[in-house]
Amino acid sequence: MTVEHPALALRGLAKRFDGTIAVAGVDLDVPAGSFYGLLGPNGAGKTTTLSMAVGLLRPDAGSAWVLGHDVWQDPVTAKRLLGVMPDGVRLFDRLTGAELLAYHGLLRGMDPAVVDQRAAELLDVLALGDAGRTLVVDYSAGMKKKIGLACALLHGPRLLVLDEPFEAVDPVSAALIRDILTRYAAGGGTVVFSSHVMEVVERLCSHVAILAGGTIKRVGTLSEVRGDRSLEQVFVEVVGGRTATGEELSWLSR
Amino acid sequence: MAFPVSAAAAPAAPVRPVSAGHFVRLKLRVMGNNFRGQGWRIALFIGGALVGLWFAVSGFFLFAAPGMTGNGRYAVLVAAAGGGLLVLGWLLLPLVFFGVDETLDPARFALLPLTRRTLVTGLFAAALVSVPVLAVLVASFGLVLTSWALGGWSAGLVAIVGVLGGLLLCVAASRAVTSAFASMLRSRRVRDLAAVLLAVTAALLGPLQVFGLAALREADWSRLTGVATVVAWTPFGAPWTAGIDVAQGRVWAAPVKLLITAAAIGALLVWWSRSLESAMVGAVSAGKAPTRRGATGGAVGQLFPRLAGWARRDRFGALVAREARYWWRDARRRANLITIAVVGIFVPVVINVTGGDFAATDGAGLTAGVADSSPVVVTISMLFVGVLASVTLANQFGFDGSAYAANVVAGVPGRVELRARMTAFSLYVLPMLTVVAVVLSVVLGRPSWIGLTTGSLAATYGAGLAVNSFVSVLGAYSLPETSNPFAMNSGAGVAKGLLTILAMVTSAVAAVPMVVAAALLGDAWLWLALPVGIGYGLGAALLGAYLAGDVLDRRQPELLATVTPRR
Repeated sequence: MTVEHPALALRGLAKRFDGTIAVAGVDLDVPAGSFYGLLGPNGAGKTTTLSMAVGLLRPDAGSAWVLGHDVWQDPVTAKRLLGVMPDGVRLFDRLTGAELLAYHGLLRGMDPAVVDQRAAELLDVLALGDAGRTLVVDYSAGMKKKIGLACALLHGPRLLVLDEPFEAVDPVSAALIRDILTRYAAGGGTVVFSSHVMEVVERLCSHVAILAGGTIKRVGTLSEVRGDRSLEQVFVEVVGGRTATGEELSWLSR
Repeated sequence: MAFPVSAAAAPAAPVRPVSAGHFVRLKLRVMGNNFRGQGWRIALFIGGALVGLWFAVSGFFLFAAPGMTGNGRYAVLVAAAGGGLLVLGWLLLPLVFFGVDETLDPARFALLPLTRRTLVTGLFAAALVSVPVLAVLVASFGLVLTSWALGGWSAGLVAIVGVLGGLLLCVAASRAVTSAFASMLRSRRVRDLAAVLLAVTAALLGPLQVFGLAALREADWSRLTGVATVVAWTPFGAPWTAGIDVAQGRVWAAPVKLLITAAAIGALLVWWSRSLESAMVGAVSAGKAPTRRGATGGAVGQLFPRLAGWARRDRFGALVAREARYWWRDARRRANLITIAVVGIFVPVVINVTGGDFAATDGAGLTAGVADSSPVVVTISMLFVGVLASVTLANQFGFDGSAYAANVVAGVPGRVELRARMTAFSLYVLPMLTVVAVVLSVVLGRPSWIGLTTGSLAATYGAGLAVNSFVSVLGAYSLPETSNPFAMNSGAGVAKGLLTILAMVTSAVAAVPMVVAAALLGDAWLWLALPVGIGYGLGAALLGAYLAGDVLDRRQPELLATVTPRR
């Protein structure tokens, strides 16, 4: 009997910072082979949740499993299966793109020859080959996202966790990233990413979870969550947005 | 509704002009918010304030001594020498050890419509709000007491003005110099020039050494007073001696000296405002990187610098290669390397020559003093260099900042991580230390002491690496993400100072066996010191990496959180 583990399972993850609750008990099952979108407004706890799920931030309570391996009890095995692109975290950006990829590859214990070959391919596909010996610190925002993605993909992880992969990325690069992620998912990989761009989520994802105020408000396949409305309508309703009446800020239109 | 005038109408003239008071309040507010809910930070701050108070009170009595004893002969000497040392300390210490408190990062003000004058006076006023400034203020009022005791209230009043001017001079000097060095180190083209300049600055230690040397020879007070009188006419001594001049009847000298002080402050502020502009604009991009030559070989081949070319192409090798590249490419780390190189050469020479001269009775000159330097003194000076070099790693994870996340995600074992970091740092430092050891024994005219110097240096450095592995894992703190390599986060000033001192003392204690052996074993030790010292250092470093690596494995996420700058 083989038990099919979910690619990522979270149970009761909670975290508080200096008295304010950032994440208040998140349960989530990401089925293997799915393309999972984690939606939420700014400050909803997306980054905190994903950081706890991949072993970057120790949770106050709860646990996380990657393909059945506990991230906090058995980090070595879990991290081997994981590829992560954090947001708001610097890369070792005083290396060139190629150097950074080589560093990540060797850090993952890969064979140098394989690293060389894959790094060259990734740089080529992501159109970063032209950057040559430019340091990553001098890259544009979009290029930094792309090299971050390349670092996460290099060792061929089974699960890819991406925090805001489409933030500050121009449409051309975004299309490229979408394309690569779709191919990765089609090849049996699982992708979890956070975003607040509805159209990207609607176009890509098979499953969606809406996070607000540190808890999951809606979860399921895209069609379950969306129903017969647009995802944006559901999102604004769940999060409880407010629309300007036109009275305030009148000085803006002077 | 788009009126073409809207752009002109919106930015009405500011209702209230921005004054220096705003900056001071902003700094106090930022400091206060940093303390909120962080008990240990408050404790550290109070601890630092107490240390500052202790120095302030002892300085006060030192400065007040001529006045309290009614002995006017040494008043100028004490004021000029003490005050000059204060200014020198404010100039050099931020560069070498402590950095400057950049609670108010100039880059944050780049978008605000402030004139350069407003900005400089504001930042200057804010810089005055700090524990060290308060300590110097307390200490220097000893001079006011002296002038008052010797010359009545008019001398006392002049002394107050002079002392306040001296304080402003100290702060302006430290700001201007760190800011100028920062902008030099930032630009990749002139960084070598910056290194040379720093070396020249450190060479100021030379005259200082002659001064201290003479001070130890009590017979020659008259010559010392002569030197002090000269110093008193430079910006280093002028503000501190104005009051005493009035007390001793040279009333005409006081206004001139105050003028010298004011001119020096003005010049420093102008200099500061120049480099400030580059700090504000340059924070975004450090200019175009030089186009490196086309990529050769695969990605892995490019990662490994020639310096680390011997390393295996595996995890350990990758860490070493990346660290080795960072010690050179990161301005903050490079500044530390330069400091080690400069101070490492000068300090042991100073200690040994001065110490030797102290023992020489006739004081016939350098050579006589040199000949008397003992193995114990040499070992102690080497101890200082080794400790200084290794303490650079006390916040090695802070250099990385949030980039350290990559290693956490990859699950790098703590022991491999620490061993690799030690190795990469040693690639630069060990050659430097070897040079120091050899140069020192040659300068001392004792080539046969090479074994002794090298051995004690290796032992201290290794022990220091071990101690600092623990400190870096347990006591890490975040560094601000500015381009100023000397900048520190608010509140971290005290913490960093105490941590550095703790790390240095512990490392020094760990190396004491070498001093004891030098004292007890006599000539046999001269050659035994080399193998024993290397073995001791290597063993200590490996043991430190082994034990601290275990700790690191258990607290990787916590370490990442502490080194990630708060935004």
